[in-house]
Amino acid sequence: MAHESASASPVRFDSVTKRYPGAETVAVEELSFEVPAGEICVLVGPSGCGKTTALRMVNRTVEMTSGDITIGGRSVKDGDPARLRREIGYVIQQIGLFPHRTIAENIGTVPSLLGWDKERIRKRSAELLELIGLDPEYGDRYPAQLSGGQQQRVGVARALAVDPTVMLMDEPFGAIDPINRSRLQNEFLRLQAELKKTVLFVTHDVDEAIKMGDRVAVLKKGGKLAQFATPTELLMEPADEFVEDFVGADRALKRLALMRIRDVRLWKAPVARAGDPCEPVREAVAAAEVPHALLVDGENRPLGWLSDRDLSRERVPVIPDSSAELLDADSVLRDGLAYLLQSGSLYAPVIDPRGRLLGVLSVEIISDFLASDEASESELTAAERPHD
Amino acid sequence: MIGVPLASFGLFGEAFQFVFEGREAETGGVTVGGTSQVLELAAKQFEVTILALAVAILLALPVGLLLGHYGRGEFLAVSAGNAGRAIPELALIALMAAAIGVGLVNLVVALAILGIPPILTNAYVGVKQVDRASVDAARGMGMTEMGIIRRVELPLAIPTIMGGVRTAAINIIATATIAPLAGILTLGDFIISRNVYGDAGVLAGAILVALMALALEGALAGLQWAMTSRGLKLNRS
Amino acid sequence: MTDVLAAVDESFFTDRSGGSCIQDNKLFCPGWVADNYDRYVEPTLQHLVLVGSAVAAGFLIAFALAILAHRHRFLSTPFLAGTGVLYTIPSISFFFLLLPVTGRGALTAIIALTAFNLQIIFRNITTGLRNVPSEVTEAATGIGMTRSQILWRVELPLAMPEIIAGLRIATVSTVALATLAVFANGGGLGTEIVTGSNITFKTGIIVAGSIAVAMAILFDGVLLLIGKLLAPWKRVAA
Repeated sequence: MAHESASASPVRFDSVTKRYPGAETVAVEELSFEVPAGEICVLVGPSGCGKTTALRMVNRTVEMTSGDITIGGRSVKDGDPARLRREIGYVIQQIGLFPHRTIAENIGTVPSLLGWDKERIRKRSAELLELIGLDPEYGDRYPAQLSGGQQQRVGVARALAVDPTVMLMDEPFGAIDPINRSRLQNEFLRLQAELKKTVLFVTHDVDEAIKMGDRVAVLKKGGKLAQFATPTELLMEPADEFVEDFVGADRALKRLALMRIRDVRLWKAPVARAGDPCEPVREAVAAAEVPHALLVDGENRPLGWLSDRDLSRERVPVIPDSSAELLDADSVLRDGLAYLLQSGSLYAPVIDPRGRLLGVLSVEIISDFLASDEASESELTAAERPHD
Repeated sequence: MIGVPLASFGLFGEAFQFVFEGREAETGGVTVGGTSQVLELAAKQFEVTILALAVAILLALPVGLLLGHYGRGEFLAVSAGNAGRAIPELALIALMAAAIGVGLVNLVVALAILGIPPILTNAYVGVKQVDRASVDAARGMGMTEMGIIRRVELPLAIPTIMGGVRTAAINIIATATIAPLAGILTLGDFIISRNVYGDAGVLAGAILVALMALALEGALAGLQWAMTSRGLKLNRS
Repeated sequence: MTDVLAAVDESFFTDRSGGSCIQDNKLFCPGWVADNYDRYVEPTLQHLVLVGSAVAAGFLIAFALAILAHRHRFLSTPFLAGTGVLYTIPSISFFFLLLPVTGRGALTAIIALTAFNLQIIFRNITTGLRNVPSEVTEAATGIGMTRSQILWRVELPLAMPEIIAGLRIATVSTVALATLAVFANGGGLGTEIVTGSNITFKTGIIVAGSIAVAMAILFDGVLLLIGKLLAPWKRVAA
């Protein structure tokens, strides 16, 4: 979908400090880093490290004690906080949709504050609903009628309504169950690939930080910046013991969060359509990397594995549709491994966004990847590419 | 118009005098007012109020607690509250006097009728709102149903229940004020029978009734504070 | 002390149904009601005015107080205490405390009834505002609404159910209480209960009382409907 978006702005922290009156320790201390336009910067650290405070100083829901934050060169301290906030997208953990307004009205909140006319708001709401993957009829429903995951997507849509140049997200997926969290993360990354906003994202989960961030700012207690780097650098060259501990001993496995499934060489499995003669398929199975055949439809979409019994007939039969157990090529290797281990399968078909077969992933592919020298090189290359 | 405030000051002075010394009745002849009559009527008002309140509590509280504990009869409990509010006190007293007859017992019954709905509703709601977790834990520990009501639900529901008692008290004492219409002389007589007591008496009566109502409310508020466990009080803040 | 047990007044003897219902002062005389219902029109109208004015005034004042207390939390307790005192003082007493200032009449009655209403409505508005989930106000602040916009576009609409509930309670109570206005020379249905110099006319009491109860139910129902209309989001099941 052709989508026009305002350019994103870089965000820069300049020795930002926050001291609460009467408190002994400083909440945020001399925080300095720069987020290039169009990138996701994840602020991560243990509880009490000031990451949320730092985020909230960008839209002045918390006022900084000293230092400055600039968006596209302009200090956030210029002008009225409410006006500033209308230009910044804001997504919080508990979502905070207005229960008394419909979904469409919720999305249209800031446009309405800015005085857009009704028709323009309506169109924009519809546009955003489509963007986040909800049917247009959801526009007339109330938040109470939506699931948690759907509500959070609406929260993101609401933040995007006036096409802000900066987005602030405070543990946005924290209240969602792990299964849907992964899906929402993938969806947001796909969205970001299209929109390319500057995003500041807070989380306490280092795995989420590595998966989502183009850059990661690790904060330690007392609001001090421990390291500001790309996820790869974080994993391969942690700045000190704190970062090393925080990232976790399973750094190697965490590297799996950096690679997409589509980035590795997938194995080929023989494919067959219902009604094809079985003899050639049996021969292909004997010779292939993956010793099982996949039933596909006319569009090359996998429908399920064909067993030896299925292939023992004259013609390929129709089998029950098990197309739910497929891997999205945009998922990270870590999710792929998790799926394979959980389901106890050796192989899982990988599909593109349209559902068409790209290849098959196996545990061996992943372990080879971890072991190979090529791996570090391709990781670094992948890190330089924006997430797409 | 300046005369009005000065005169009103004078009226307050007269009311003051009425209470402590008494004055000549408007109808002439007899002296009315004075501390002894005031105390007599005040005592009567207090008596009927407390009696009616006690009856209302005795009848409504157990029912409300049981209904709330077993989670039954929500319609009854809530409707009782709504219905009770709609009863015009004046009509109740008048009808009672006209149809059933005067007398202390009848009056107390009528007043209790006014007091039952808020106590019933609040007892029900108070118990129902108690954290289910506490009740489940108590049941799991082997407490009997009665024990749970007595030792877990009732203490936790005290603020709400006492709120209902206080509302009932306000209704009852307000209606006890018009009891003279039904032949029982309370402080309200000063207010209603202006032709006997005069404007001074009316004002005196109004002030005395107001003071008594505030005193009762204050006492009940104090009682509620004393009865509310410390843990609950800490929670409220 | 007026003799409350006087016989029924001569003025009631318009009863073409014949029979001795009125003379015997039976409990309820339908014939009489049919012949005389028009005498209740004016008291009913007066009653409506009393209730309407008292609830409207009570709402306006309580609303102003609640908004102030919402902005400056420390005001909550004194306001609650103040309105509490006004609630505790029996209305009939209030009528005559106002005697030196507003004398007798409908105004006195309305002021007293308004004072009675204040705490109920104030409390419900305050609770309603306080029950707005904090994440909703947090989101509203974060996306750029001013304090005043948050109050009018988010907090008050969400508090509406609680506010309407308070208005229902206040209105029903005021309808019942307004029967006492007769003592302040304020008119209302009380005039048909305490008729002239006696209060023994049973049919009259029942009719007047019933009209009051019916009025209360009517108001309650109307407010309930208004509440439902103003809160469409509550009607959809989660």
